[in-house]
Amino acid sequence: MEALEKIKAIAQDPYSYALNLKKTTDKPVVGNFCSYTPEELVFAAGGVPFRLFGTKDDISLADAHLQAYCCSLVRGGLEDALKGNLSFLDGTVFPHTCDSIQRLSDIWRLNTGFAFHIDVVLPVKLDTQSARIYMIDVLNSFKSDLESALKNRITEEKLRQAIKLYNRLRQTLGEIYEMRSKDPDSISATDLYHVIKASMITDRDEFLELLTLLRDELKKKIKDRTLNTHKRIILSGGICNHPDIYTALEESGAEVIWDDLCTGTRYFEGDIEESGDPIEAIADRYMTRVVCPAKHLTVTARGESLVRLVKDRNASGVIFMFLKFCDPHAFDYPYLKKFLDDAGIPNILLEVEEQLPSDAQLKTRFETFVDMID
Amino acid sequence: MITAGIDIGSITAKAAVLNDGHILGTKVMFTGYNSRQAGKAVIDELAREINMNPEDLDAIVATGYGRNSVEFATKAITEITCHGVGAHFLNPDIRFIIDIGGQDSKVIRIDEAGRVVDFAMNDKCAAGTGRFLEVMARALEVDLDKFGDICLQGKAPAKISSICTVFAESEVISLISKGETRENIIAGIHESVASRVSALAKRVGVVEPVMMTGGVAMNIGAVRALEGKLETSIQVSEYAQVNGAIGAAILAGKEVG
Repeated sequence: MEALEKIKAIAQDPYSYALNLKKTTDKPVVGNFCSYTPEELVFAAGGVPFRLFGTKDDISLADAHLQAYCCSLVRGGLEDALKGNLSFLDGTVFPHTCDSIQRLSDIWRLNTGFAFHIDVVLPVKLDTQSARIYMIDVLNSFKSDLESALKNRITEEKLRQAIKLYNRLRQTLGEIYEMRSKDPDSISATDLYHVIKASMITDRDEFLELLTLLRDELKKKIKDRTLNTHKRIILSGGICNHPDIYTALEESGAEVIWDDLCTGTRYFEGDIEESGDPIEAIADRYMTRVVCPAKHLTVTARGESLVRLVKDRNASGVIFMFLKFCDPHAFDYPYLKKFLDDAGIPNILLEVEEQLPSDAQLKTRFETFVDMID
Repeated sequence: MITAGIDIGSITAKAAVLNDGHILGTKVMFTGYNSRQAGKAVIDELAREINMNPEDLDAIVATGYGRNSVEFATKAITEITCHGVGAHFLNPDIRFIIDIGGQDSKVIRIDEAGRVVDFAMNDKCAAGTGRFLEVMARALEVDLDKFGDICLQGKAPAKISSICTVFAESEVISLISKGETRENIIAGIHESVASRVSALAKRVGVVEPVMMTGGVAMNIGAVRALEGKLETSIQVSEYAQVNGAIGAAILAGKEVG
């Protein structure tokens, strides 16, 4: 599995990958914190969208700017920026999602000193006609902001190519997710975590090649009838940057076979129409995709979609995994839990920070959860 | 069939021996530094008390945070599952369990067969645990065993607003210096524990009847304070502290069929 090894090496050390990319190419690296970043435009402008996941270091510098109620992603991202760990970034894009990210944008602009900084002020509702008009307007101004920041004109042709590439990337990620869902032994959850993480940081041309290779290798490996007897679980939440979760779950007798995560299906679900106006087509993807809790569809859309997902994926339980102090997810939790409880779907909540709870605590929860769904 | 359950908690190690659904004996000892030895010690001691040879046990299930360190156990099962089975054994009507132990608190909803339907645990914090009560008893120079009884004498519980154990201790010290009565301070401390645990319970959804298990269930002040917060009566069995071990012993029976 040569492709997988290369992908894992990138995902395990994203900063070294980015530093090397800066050395070997002249491509600008564009930081972002969110799956609502219109990456197709960044790619069309010649940039490499680079997702930030927080820090592995202790947080000391960031807390001079942020309150204790900010999540570890916001605090950790700022920590790395202030420490100089993100020196490879040419600039950063902040789509407007939660309050903390919005505040972080201004603090980032004032304190980190990257060459450019763009806010993408998305609408809160994405599915109305007025939101669509507004969204198209936002994407057009993002396009011209990028053009001046990266000194590169985004022609219609380049944008169409970008959309094509992203469609292929997203479809291939989806295919690999399908394979794991069909036969969890085809690729481990930890390996798939590395794949999805690398997909958000690697030079996308290079990544599509690696990903296609990986998919072809996996196709040879996958069994028609899986031998895996572990309980099938869906992981729901914001970002998951804790591969140890998957191992602890496996040791407890369960497998994450699908997810509802920003660093997961929310990144790759939804194709973009390749004909018609490309900007309108990008807006339409956001209008139809299932929303993250910082956005609004209808009051029941996320609950219904989660219950449907459990049934479609033949899963027997849901683990909510939130970053502590992630208020959009926390606000939605009681209502999502009620949807699952009413449908008789076992679920538990796990709140994490940059560090996981102790192994003993984690195992106690997971083992009990597996007992529960026996 | 004679089976045993061993529950290695953060502060105490518990054992229970059952003979086809009859409790032959139970034992509580301090876990100490070595949880490996604690499991062996507690079952040996109990076996001696009930005049049996530990070798004659048909199966042993280990539970509690130290469950995987009991090498001679037939199987390890989490204390949440075991508390569900134990409470169901003691009273089959029970649908909700509040287990407050030394280092964490858990709320567990069970079905009519004693199976866990939902649960929640506190996170990374001593608020709402036995340790919180221990720290406060020390600050007030009161014997932990008398803590609950003194609590009931408090007419107007003092307000303890800090959630953090360390800050709450400073709050208690400043209440002492302001001349607040010991009874009212202790009642306030129990109100604080009850607030934390009842919030956890409401997340899962309380279904009556409710039973309290774990070491803190022996503290009448904690039980009464929780009854007030949850507006329900709470059953406490004489076996509350060894409930997890009893559940483990029952599950051990299922291991050998």
